[in-house]
Amino acid sequence: MNLLVFAAVLAAMLAVRFFLKNLHILVWLALWWVALFVVFKYGIEPPLPASIVNMFMAIVTLALLAYLSATTSYLRQATEAVVRFMVDRRFTVPLVVVLLTVPALVAWQVYAERTARPTPPVSGRTIHPPPPNTISFKGKTIDLVNGENPYRALETSDPEAFAAHVENGRRIYYENCVFCHGDNMEGDGLFAHGYDPLPANFNDPTTIAMLQETYLFWRIAKGGPGLPSESTPWASAMPAWENFLTEEEIWDVILFLYDYTGFRPRAREEIH
Amino acid sequence: MRHDASPQRCCGRPPACRRRAALLLAALVVLPTGLLAQEPDLGTEAQRAAGRQVYLEKCAQCHGENGDGQSYATPFLRPAPRDFTAGIFKFRTTPSGELPTTDDLRRSIREGMPYTSMPAWRGVLSSTEITNLAYFIKTFNDDFTGPYGVPTVVEIPRDPGFDEDNLERGRQVYEENQCADCHGNQGRGNGPSAPTLEDQWGFHIRPADLTKRWTFRNGQTRRDIYRTFTTGLDGSPMPSYDMPEEDRWALVDYVWSLSRSEPNYATAAYSHAVEGPLDLSRGPALFEEAEPAYFPVVGQVIEPGRSFYPGVNGIELRAVHNADEIAFLVTWHDLRADTRGRNGPDLPAPMNEPARPDTATTFSDAVALQFPATLPTGVERPYFLFGDRKNAVDLWFVDLAEGTGRRYIGRGYRDLQPASDGPPIEVRTAYDDGAWQVLFKRARLAGEGLSFPEDTFVPIAFSVWDGFNQERGNKRGITSWYAVYIAPLEQPAALGPALGYGLATLLLGLALVGYTRRKYRTATA
Repeated sequence: MNLLVFAAVLAAMLAVRFFLKNLHILVWLALWWVALFVVFKYGIEPPLPASIVNMFMAIVTLALLAYLSATTSYLRQATEAVVRFMVDRRFTVPLVVVLLTVPALVAWQVYAERTARPTPPVSGRTIHPPPPNTISFKGKTIDLVNGENPYRALETSDPEAFAAHVENGRRIYYENCVFCHGDNMEGDGLFAHGYDPLPANFNDPTTIAMLQETYLFWRIAKGGPGLPSESTPWASAMPAWENFLTEEEIWDVILFLYDYTGFRPRAREEIH
Repeated sequence: MRHDASPQRCCGRPPACRRRAALLLAALVVLPTGLLAQEPDLGTEAQRAAGRQVYLEKCAQCHGENGDGQSYATPFLRPAPRDFTAGIFKFRTTPSGELPTTDDLRRSIREGMPYTSMPAWRGVLSSTEITNLAYFIKTFNDDFTGPYGVPTVVEIPRDPGFDEDNLERGRQVYEENQCADCHGNQGRGNGPSAPTLEDQWGFHIRPADLTKRWTFRNGQTRRDIYRTFTTGLDGSPMPSYDMPEEDRWALVDYVWSLSRSEPNYATAAYSHAVEGPLDLSRGPALFEEAEPAYFPVVGQVIEPGRSFYPGVNGIELRAVHNADEIAFLVTWHDLRADTRGRNGPDLPAPMNEPARPDTATTFSDAVALQFPATLPTGVERPYFLFGDRKNAVDLWFVDLAEGTGRRYIGRGYRDLQPASDGPPIEVRTAYDDGAWQVLFKRARLAGEGLSFPEDTFVPIAFSVWDGFNQERGNKRGITSWYAVYIAPLEQPAALGPALGYGLATLLLGLALVGYTRRKYRTATA
């Protein structure tokens, strides 16, 4: 969400509401239409696809028409205005302009659509694909639901040993991960621009901050090739690190990711 | 005039020596007049302590806790992380051999070095933190605290702006100063000395590709370019140049004219439909009408044979097709044509290996186009690194020592099988002043296997091997999947339908107004 856009639209609508009294109902509806369009088009991050915006605007148009026809006086006001525009001699020139402009726009739109270059199919991405309950790691079963980072407990019981694990994780990160995930863990490493989707940004509160450590273990160990076959396509370039790292090294790098970003892993939900 | 006779000599003589000589001179000339009163800008104790905190958190993993550039990441990074203890800095506003100013250090931290592992820290670190860091970095070398700590600043005059009339003079300045020795005739970083250049630490260093302004380490604005050749890049073979002011701006204009500011990376290439035959002997001229698409090439750092500093950082594709055939032209910049030795996608390469340029020319340059072995019906594509067990890829491989095409069917890097079935591929290769040009041609449609039907996006990916960089097998530059669109041979009509829809709308509008007016007249009558 882009709060600035929201605030600007809200402020503009409130200003119109309080400073321009007795607006014609059609003007008022048009303002609503424009305001919502601006919100859908510029107020949402990441931007909505054009087809979704068009769909939303069709719904908005219907809703505004429904609002108009729900009140008899409004409806009469609106129809009278439209009829006056088409009949009154004062409006002849603008009427001719509208009668010519609209077909021209339609023709231009059709022409643009027919000659536009097709856009390549987008590769979809599910932000947090559902993890399996367990995975097999070099013959060992790892419980993703009830499992825990075996070295996490050291944080309180033996801070020195814990620090050694974090330091080892740091080594792993800068030998293996930094090239894509970047120095500051923002997914903007040296090679990040070669990939779509971009490497994960660990500083973003919607990534590791809302995941359990076992989830990270799964994603690191199995990588792009280990993603579930449902909800494909996966275009993830993340390697399956189980081929190159030991179990302890993966847990250590997870400790380092949380240590560096200052986030806490999501705790396992207790079921009573 | 170049300050140093040869690039090699300039890196052979450590600036520290030069600095001593400079000081001697200063002691003789300046000290008696008492002009050395200015104190080095070292910040306060508290600022350095705060800088140390940030350094240990954000910088030490590459530059080392002791600032000596030795760290976990060092073996994998080229250019190597700066060794601050040496007191040699590339990016300065001070004369060659002198230390940088606090602002120079701040600029390097803030802006980073594009296309290296040094990120831009603006947005992550505050201006205060960056200043503190600069002060802390000065503690790694004692010269900062002494008389050398007050460097002279080279003023950069106001930019007169790009002037096309200067280009001829700029080209002359480029030639007079032998810029082409390293940077090449057309600035592609392929001068005759390019393969032999070393930095202060003995690592091979590539001259900048002047056609890719976005990769300029010292920044890509006109002032940045002016500063780079005016102050030189200490520790690298790039010397500083002394010349009249007009010549400096003429050279800036010339470098400016060689380069684009943005890579404009594409996600798809559009194959141009032509009527005539596709005759590869016409060379790149065959592709004149086709729009180029430029894709980023990155190191394969995922599987064994990891390539942390690939020799190639981008590849351009053009495609044309007619009713029967399709042809591709791929071009990329390479500092030398390695046409001795051999190469192959299936040659063994170790997991990691130390960086050292290939002086023995064991491996040749090579390139491969990668397509899915059969066109995917859905959105799923083979694994982008030579395919996977379920989905195979079709590799069109060219060892540039041979100049002929070979095909492989890949199911992962450990399972690459030479393929002989399917339509044959015709290949032509050329190396033109720093740029490889490789042309491919094949029948567009095949009964089984890979086809290029009209109105279709065909997934495409690339591998590039720089023999100079000892790239072979899985050690290579790669791209992820992109697409090439095969335009229909007959474009659908656009003008007719557009006019039709427009006319229909006009009639509808007229009818509506006519109806309303009649009704109104009846009502008022």
